Amino acid sequence: MAWRIGVDSGGTFTDVCLIDDDRGDLSIWKVSSTPDDPSRGIAQAFAEGIERVGADVADVSFFGHGTTVATNALIQNRGVKTGLITTKGFRDLLAIGRQKRPDLYDLQADKPVELVSRDLRIGVSERLRIDGSVETPLAEDEVRTAARHLRDAGVEAVAVCFLYSFLSDAHERRAAEIIAEEFPDAFVALSSQVAPEFREFERLSTTVVNAYLGPVMRGYVRALSGKLADAGLDVAPQLTQSNGGVTGFEIAAEMPVRTVLSGPSTGVVAAQALGQMSGIGNLITFDMGGTSSDVALLTDGSCRMVAEAEVHGYPLNTPMLDIHTVGAGGGSIAYVDNGGLLKVGPRSAGAHPGPACYGLGTLEPTVTDANVVLQTQNPTALLNGQMPIDRGLSVAAIERLAQQLGLGVMETADGILDIVTANTAKAIRLISVQRGHDPRDYAMVAFGGAGPVQAARLARELGMSRILIPRTPGVLCALGLLMTDLRTDYSATQIMLLDDATPDMLRGVFDGLRAQAEIWFNAEAIAPEARNVTLRVDMRYAGQNYEIATDLPTEEITAESLVALKDSFLAHHQRLYGFVAEADAIQMVTYRLQATGSVPKADHPKFPHAGPDASAALTGSRPVWMRDAGGFVETPIFARDLLLPGNVIQGPAIIDQLDTTTVVPPDMVATVDLYKTLILEYN
Amino acid sequence: MRAPTETTLNPVTVEVIGSAFSSAVDEMGEALVRASYSTNIKERRDCSTALCTATGDILCQAEHIPMHLGSFLQFVPKLLEVYSLDDMHPGDVFIGNDPYAGGGTHLPDIVMASPIFVEGALFGWAINTAHHSDFADRGHAHIYQEGLRIPPLRLDRAGVRQDEVMRLFLLNCQVPKERVSDLRAQMAANRLGIVRVQELCRKFGSDIVRDAGKALMDYAERKMRAGIAAITDGRYVFEDVYESESLEGHLDLGVTLTIAGDAMQLDFVSPPQVRAGLNVIYTALQATVYYAVKAVVDPSVLPNAGLARPITINAEPGTLLNCAHPAAVDGRISACQRVVDLVHGALVQVVPHRVTAASCGSVHVASFSGTRPGGGLWVYLETIAGGSGARYNKDGLDAVQVHMTNTSNLPLEALEAEYPITLLQYEFAEDSGGDGRFLGGMGVRRVYRAEAPCRVQIMGSRLSSRAWGLDGGAPGKSGAFLVNGNPKAIDLSGTIDLVKGDVFAVVTPGAGGYGDPALRDSAARAQDAKAGRRPAR
Repeated sequence: MAWRIGVDSGGTFTDVCLIDDDRGDLSIWKVSSTPDDPSRGIAQAFAEGIERVGADVADVSFFGHGTTVATNALIQNRGVKTGLITTKGFRDLLAIGRQKRPDLYDLQADKPVELVSRDLRIGVSERLRIDGSVETPLAEDEVRTAARHLRDAGVEAVAVCFLYSFLSDAHERRAAEIIAEEFPDAFVALSSQVAPEFREFERLSTTVVNAYLGPVMRGYVRALSGKLADAGLDVAPQLTQSNGGVTGFEIAAEMPVRTVLSGPSTGVVAAQALGQMSGIGNLITFDMGGTSSDVALLTDGSCRMVAEAEVHGYPLNTPMLDIHTVGAGGGSIAYVDNGGLLKVGPRSAGAHPGPACYGLGTLEPTVTDANVVLQTQNPTALLNGQMPIDRGLSVAAIERLAQQLGLGVMETADGILDIVTANTAKAIRLISVQRGHDPRDYAMVAFGGAGPVQAARLARELGMSRILIPRTPGVLCALGLLMTDLRTDYSATQIMLLDDATPDMLRGVFDGLRAQAEIWFNAEAIAPEARNVTLRVDMRYAGQNYEIATDLPTEEITAESLVALKDSFLAHHQRLYGFVAEADAIQMVTYRLQATGSVPKADHPKFPHAGPDASAALTGSRPVWMRDAGGFVETPIFARDLLLPGNVIQGPAIIDQLDTTTVVPPDMVATVDLYKTLILEYN
Repeated sequence: MRAPTETTLNPVTVEVIGSAFSSAVDEMGEALVRASYSTNIKERRDCSTALCTATGDILCQAEHIPMHLGSFLQFVPKLLEVYSLDDMHPGDVFIGNDPYAGGGTHLPDIVMASPIFVEGALFGWAINTAHHSDFADRGHAHIYQEGLRIPPLRLDRAGVRQDEVMRLFLLNCQVPKERVSDLRAQMAANRLGIVRVQELCRKFGSDIVRDAGKALMDYAERKMRAGIAAITDGRYVFEDVYESESLEGHLDLGVTLTIAGDAMQLDFVSPPQVRAGLNVIYTALQATVYYAVKAVVDPSVLPNAGLARPITINAEPGTLLNCAHPAAVDGRISACQRVVDLVHGALVQVVPHRVTAASCGSVHVASFSGTRPGGGLWVYLETIAGGSGARYNKDGLDAVQVHMTNTSNLPLEALEAEYPITLLQYEFAEDSGGDGRFLGGMGVRRVYRAEAPCRVQIMGSRLSSRAWGLDGGAPGKSGAFLVNGNPKAIDLSGTIDLVKGDVFAVVTPGAGGYGDPALRDSAARAQDAKAGRRPAR
């Protein structure tokens, strides 16, 4: 017996997925989260899950964990008191940023909170030149004084960021030694380690966020490790990062900035695994919860990795899956603005007071109320009957909007869904068309509590013809943890003209990155056959400042590799900007290596084919409002649990399960595949 | 509040098409920045994108630089006076920059418009403007000194470059290679805009998209009118002084702002236009007023032509704020910043919580130019942020671009890679923010060292006057330009020769405070002191 366990700790629930590797049985379990100390809820979920399936804790072979600890500390400004040591003359760069204001027109808008107050930002004499040479040596006494000052001021973490540290880390390393002498308890983050890349503000911001979150994450993983060890867990627990891979707890504690998208990234990984099982490589993920939706695009089974993004207003240069979040969820509130147009979100009723139909006092209609009015969602109870609701309250709430708009109640409810669809479609266009991908070439993976409800409309809006709905859409992130490899990223910046570069030069750069990866492979005790690396070069025309990530084959680097690199860059440039500049020189700027340690994946069992007849899963019917029919249409209801592989359902149909409802419109047909994934296709 | 032109289109379709317009202009902007080579576009993002109707009404402007709206208002209408529709083809590209011929609001802003054809008919225009960092170290007595004047003219005919035009243009530029690449990036942006609109028309039908465009303008108008109607009727007057590095003394500026029901009229008073690059073309005044009113009345109003309908703007032709040919206009933006102050100053009297104390009231510009070792020229333009005004309930923002501009800074690590300049300091001007119960935002001190001989031309205001406070708040400190620590090294030409090793500093003005300084919270005072902040009194 060997059990693999994934635990996804969210704001409301902690989800556990347990897989028995021998038999492939999947069990899921949910407990309430304990936001004051998430490790309690996780330890409880772990213990209860083990007990529920009757496993022996000694048989647990893998424990993977997705967390919102870092992202919540950042959103809620609950990181530690942090100090900054930087190049003299630039201590306010953290606050100035790129000098843009937070909102173009809103005079009341504010910038994100400064993570280091001005009295704790200290400039010290030192300066490198653009060629990496030293103009002013590091004033060690000033660093010493600064470290003492920060210690006496009660900071817990110190960020160190000097100009051009991506070219030479000598000054930062020496500063770290001095800080360690004067202030050994401090958590120290060096920009040359956290984000060794060009553009000083973005590097600084990333380093400061890492310092700010460091002690929080360190405390959290220590508490959790202790509780899991007490519960008898014998293997090293793993934590997901924003890059979609897992890493050991100690590394996560050193680089917490790399875990800010820990939660949503596992959903993407799970969707990727689902696509693999179903043999579909081009996917757009659509994870819709109560307040927001996360979307990502996978081409040939992999999601684009971005090296820079803004998270909660803070620019972060750290490898992240290209996940886009939009404030559109089941709880998003619909209203008519003072110009008479219908708007939905980003304000959300959340779980409390929730949609009007919960009867907890709110009169504001939400997306869920629109679905209840149209009866696409069950009009009397949610959660498979466990939670009674009042459709009359939804109708009353939407009626008020309908009057303002001069539309009927049904038309208004339908319009709310159209607008939330437009909002999510905009997010998907951003990650697809805006990057040169046509969503019509992709299948959608819909999950999260509200994803399968909205998926068909969204697919139609984008011209997508196929939707995959996993077996357990509400706990897909926890499941994703069982499909995740160990993964970490290394990068180096060194500008080289492609025409001047030799295979040896490129090899030299990547050998340095490979050496770092080797240390990590050994530290994580990854078996030699499980080790894998992929290489990329960020390239641009000399003169541009934005690069295009270009894959480099991992085999021996030869003259042909350089030719392939050039061709690939030109093709990308033509696709994105509509031209190539024949006469202009091409530069290689940043070199990236991603190291992966393959983890044995949960083996998902296939179920036997049971034929097209789905009538055994038919549980009843209800009238559902259909725009094309112009009224209510009696629609059959199926139970997801009872559907078997091969079953075919022609829309219109509603498929209910504990964690969500799937809407199959009249012009779609749903089939169940051998993994019990539901596949919806337009006729 | 119902507008006179009510449409019957489903409001949901309108909203969906509006989202598609706004995502298209955002995409256009991103392509422009990413494809370009000049620091002013690729890092400082001094460019804007929009979509227009066939006759040139703005359907949607991206949230880039408010000033650039002035580039879009008259370009297509003026172009259509010269070129007939019969002679227009897919693949045509038009450019222009002359304020007196419908182009930009100053010569470096080159406007590019590309017709969007749907099913063989002209549907609308993809349009953008980019501030080309060129025409540096020129005179500003009149517009003929300021650079090459380009009326709206055809650069590409049906996808074929008109080489004569290009050769004439490039010969007049100091950094032609950058101009070529920036124009190419502008084309990439328009190409995307065309594709997006064509896709939208295929999906909804071009009639529906056109009607939705009209409905969106009506919608913006309704929101603007609703917002204006919520402000008490009356006549509100405000006056201020304006000074610049290229003026002796100061000029008096004033506005009378009249609100009657759901309409607003603004009558500006300013002295006769001046023989310096400080004058404001009418389209620039319009763009400024639309920004200033929108920010107060309703920041969420859609940026399209509808928002202008309830607003009437008067200024005597031939005056500083509505200049006539051949007045020079290059540095018009500082006066525009002061126009925003005038409008907000007038509105303080009736909606004191919706405006801020005066922001820095200037765009401090430093335009460096020199010769590279190989003989080529280089031009490096930077506009530097200042303080933003204190709000009635919180401090102002420190070191941000205010009102009419919103360009980014140039990262030091990018600057030193491209130009023979070293950046020595980039920090708050600690004594610049006006004191008050809530402090005015601080300006910055940006200090450069020349590594080779070069010239720098400066522009700015609030050099002797100060950004006003509100409700007892103190004004912000004035800004300055210093050479080797000495402000007197700069004469009225605003041009300075730097030799290797010279240190040139730009200090931007702080903003005004809000409320009696005696009422500032003592904990906030203690934190100010710890942070080394010394509010201006």
